[in-house]
Amino acid sequence: MIDLIIFWIGVGLLFLGGILDVIAAIGMNRFNNFFLRLHAATVGSIGGAVYPLAGIALIAVSLDMPATFKYYIAGISVIAGLLIVLTAPAGSHILAKAAHKSGEVSPKPVIVDKLREKEEVSEE
Amino acid sequence: MVSVDVLGFVLPGAFILYTVAMLIYSYRVFKGPTLPDMVLAIDTLVVDLIVIFMLLSLYYLTPYLAIGAIPLAAWVFLLDIYVAKYLLRGKRK
Repeated sequence: MIDLIIFWIGVGLLFLGGILDVIAAIGMNRFNNFFLRLHAATVGSIGGAVYPLAGIALIAVSLDMPATFKYYIAGISVIAGLLIVLTAPAGSHILAKAAHKSGEVSPKPVIVDKLREKEEVSEE
Repeated sequence: MVSVDVLGFVLPGAFILYTVAMLIYSYRVFKGPTLPDMVLAIDTLVVDLIVIFMLLSLYYLTPYLAIGAIPLAAWVFLLDIYVAKYLLRGKRK
């Protein structure tokens, strides 16, 4: 009985992640600025990959298979999910800072840009 | 214990969702006006590829496909770091 509950919680997480991933993909094409697309990328990497990996781990644990198969799949899912949780925010912050500092992309509707003012002061 | 046959009804729907999302992301990879846009889209594409690997290894019931997920998860972070260093070339002393 408890296996059935764990299995359907895993399936729910898997489909929640899939729906969030499609929403993030649509947002990635509809936002018109790099710094706005960072929001869609965060939804796509945390909501679209970490939730389904947790769901896959729950599904694999509740299957009627030998233990060498199901705990192997569950362990790899948990490790990959932890790696993504730790590295995806850091990676997108590094990328945003580099893009801003190199002048590759410019935030179009901008009112005040404290980071640029600080860089200009430190360069002089 | 849940029978393996149930997976045959559940997993194809998830495959459809992730494939549609990857197709929409790849439009941004090819179109993206600047380099950081493309790299951001490639990040999310690779992260989806990890999920598809795990789903395939569940669907075909082979554990050998799954081990490719961990190097891919590390490669995403390496790609961010390398591209950031490439964008900042000559800026640092």
